[in-house]
Amino acid sequence: MSNYFKSAALVLQVACGVQLFNNYVAEFTWCFGPSMLPTLNMTGDIVGFEHLTQRFSKLDTGDLVVAVSPTDPSKLVCKRIIGVPGDKVVIDPVSPHRQYITVPPGHYWLMGDNLSNSTDSRAYGPVSGGLVLGRVFARLWPSPKWINNGLEEIVEFS
Amino acid sequence: MAFVSSFRQWAWSVLPWVPVGLYFTEHGYSLGTVNGRSMQPTLNPDSNQLKKDVVLFNHWAIDRCHYNIGDVVTLRHPDQPEKIVIKRIVALEGDVVQTRSPYPDAHVRVPRGHCWVEGDEMFHSRDSNHYGPVPLGLVKSKVQYVLYPLNRFGKIPDKPRGNRVRYAPGHKVYNRLDHE
Repeated sequence: MSNYFKSAALVLQVACGVQLFNNYVAEFTWCFGPSMLPTLNMTGDIVGFEHLTQRFSKLDTGDLVVAVSPTDPSKLVCKRIIGVPGDKVVIDPVSPHRQYITVPPGHYWLMGDNLSNSTDSRAYGPVSGGLVLGRVFARLWPSPKWINNGLEEIVEFS
Repeated sequence: MAFVSSFRQWAWSVLPWVPVGLYFTEHGYSLGTVNGRSMQPTLNPDSNQLKKDVVLFNHWAIDRCHYNIGDVVTLRHPDQPEKIVIKRIVALEGDVVQTRSPYPDAHVRVPRGHCWVEGDEMFHSRDSNHYGPVPLGLVKSKVQYVLYPLNRFGKIPDKPRGNRVRYAPGHKVYNRLDHE
């Protein structure tokens, strides 16, 4: 009897330890949908994301992040940060009439990589930093690889 | 040496239970104090800064996406993610709210997945009338019981709903477990 109790306690302890690690260090999630198409598959990728950058440093433009959806608290979205607080961003680069918005303090402007099929900040506005869960650092399955900040500098010729 | 080895034994028997306790405080119930006067007279009815209410936070209800109008909840401040505030949910998605002074529009329809939060003390509260509708994902826990000033021990009282909100006919049920 005491043996059963001991092993049950061990399972509980390990499960809670894993959960704690997931909550504070890193975890993985399944994300699918067409909105991140060239970077992530439409049929579903398992990506790993970490909470440390947000806690000890700052998220930057170009980082891929996982956030709680502003329109449904039970769903997660995976988007790229286009603007950090104070940045002036184009609301919709696809539309012929360009409008600009300054990202309010504590918020991020998130967009999918597939602009023609993505529900993102163009639909729901700037996303509060409290909804951002973490920065995506790797794709775990299929074809594992590291995912870094995707920002590339454009060199202007004069 | 005997003391050190007994301490080590004690540590090995207690340390593995630390994650279990932390898990319980994060996803079950935890205690906390309330700062500020934005929820007067429900919480901190005495404006004395030294007398703070101790309340019980229920994280379990929010993990299962149970949101009700009239609940007192803790949420992350939308503009300052590190700051956690206590407010009351006044309206959920689809409801039309008659706003108060700093808000630019007279009426607001709460968008999908959002809520309208207000403090009970309307003059000393920075709430949705300042920062607009708040996404439900920012809500962290439900505040259900006052624990410490023992004369007010018990469930947090409801607040009359008033007539500033026109409620939508059917709210979406934010509860994954009930649907499955």
